[in-house]
Amino acid sequence: MTADPTTGPVAEFRSGLREIMPLAAGVVIYGLAFGVLASQALMGGLETGAMGSLVFAGAAQIVAVERAVAGAGALAALVAGIALNLRLVLVTASIRAFFTDRPWWQVALGAHFSTDENWAMTVAARKAGRDVGYWHLIGGGAGLFAAWLCSTVAGVMFASAIPEPRALGIDFAFTAAFILIARTLWQGRQDLLPWGTSIAVVALALWSGALDPSWALILGGVAGAVIAGIAGDD
Amino acid sequence: MTDIWVIILGLAVGTFAARLGGILLGQRLPVTGGWARALSALPGTLIVALVAGQVFQGEWPEWIAGGLAAMAAILTRSLVLTMALGIIAVYVLRQYA
Repeated sequence: MTADPTTGPVAEFRSGLREIMPLAAGVVIYGLAFGVLASQALMGGLETGAMGSLVFAGAAQIVAVERAVAGAGALAALVAGIALNLRLVLVTASIRAFFTDRPWWQVALGAHFSTDENWAMTVAARKAGRDVGYWHLIGGGAGLFAAWLCSTVAGVMFASAIPEPRALGIDFAFTAAFILIARTLWQGRQDLLPWGTSIAVVALALWSGALDPSWALILGGVAGAVIAGIAGDD
Repeated sequence: MTDIWVIILGLAVGTFAARLGGILLGQRLPVTGGWARALSALPGTLIVALVAGQVFQGEWPEWIAGGLAAMAAILTRSLVLTMALGIIAVYVLRQYA
């Protein structure tokens, strides 16, 4: 197997790394923007680098740090970030066959390197009939990891050059980015009722003054998901 | 600053647990039914709730800029264009607020 240069772990890793490059370029833009946000949370290169490598989940990092910047407590920021990452259970469950009979460190590495982007890449390659698996996923994950770590740390270093985010409208950058993320998460008309529920719950919670914004967001998100579970059908 | 480390380490543990949990629980996770639908709907509903919270807490410049950014997102699906339009709109509108 390994004697054949077109198959085997190394070739699979390399093809995964090569094929993730267009997506890694997009991650760099996100990462730079995250770095600017992190600097508003008074995070330095060390904190940003530690978070990028230990958490390695873009959207959840953005949400948690955005909550921290907004003045939410650590608990609310943490709950919001973890709630957003619960979907990763479904991501790794769908590729659990990649991990059978592997040593523990490969299972841990593969788990940590599983993201939406390289998961989608490897699953799409398999649907196209290619015999790729674990090392293809790891190759893509390695590319994304490097892109995310470098761009977020670069972003936080570069951010000190920007004087006052609100005066330039840059505080709105992530609201706009989240609007685009929402657009990419829209799956069709079955999302209408859950999303409407989320918005209504947040509006009620904020305008009634019953909850602070971070808990309003968690309550709204969970309420929408519950509605999707109850009212939808497969 | 300790708050930041609580968030970093807590999020690291929670995220790794979710990733490893999928591998370990595997077949025991539902792929259809209410729980599966709720879990797969959660990212979208959380993001929408987040955007709603941010926009509602602002004033009319944020409401209009949010609407323009939503239009850009729907029509172009481009991250760069959506962010650019949102930032420029909120910057210009705040001059009049």
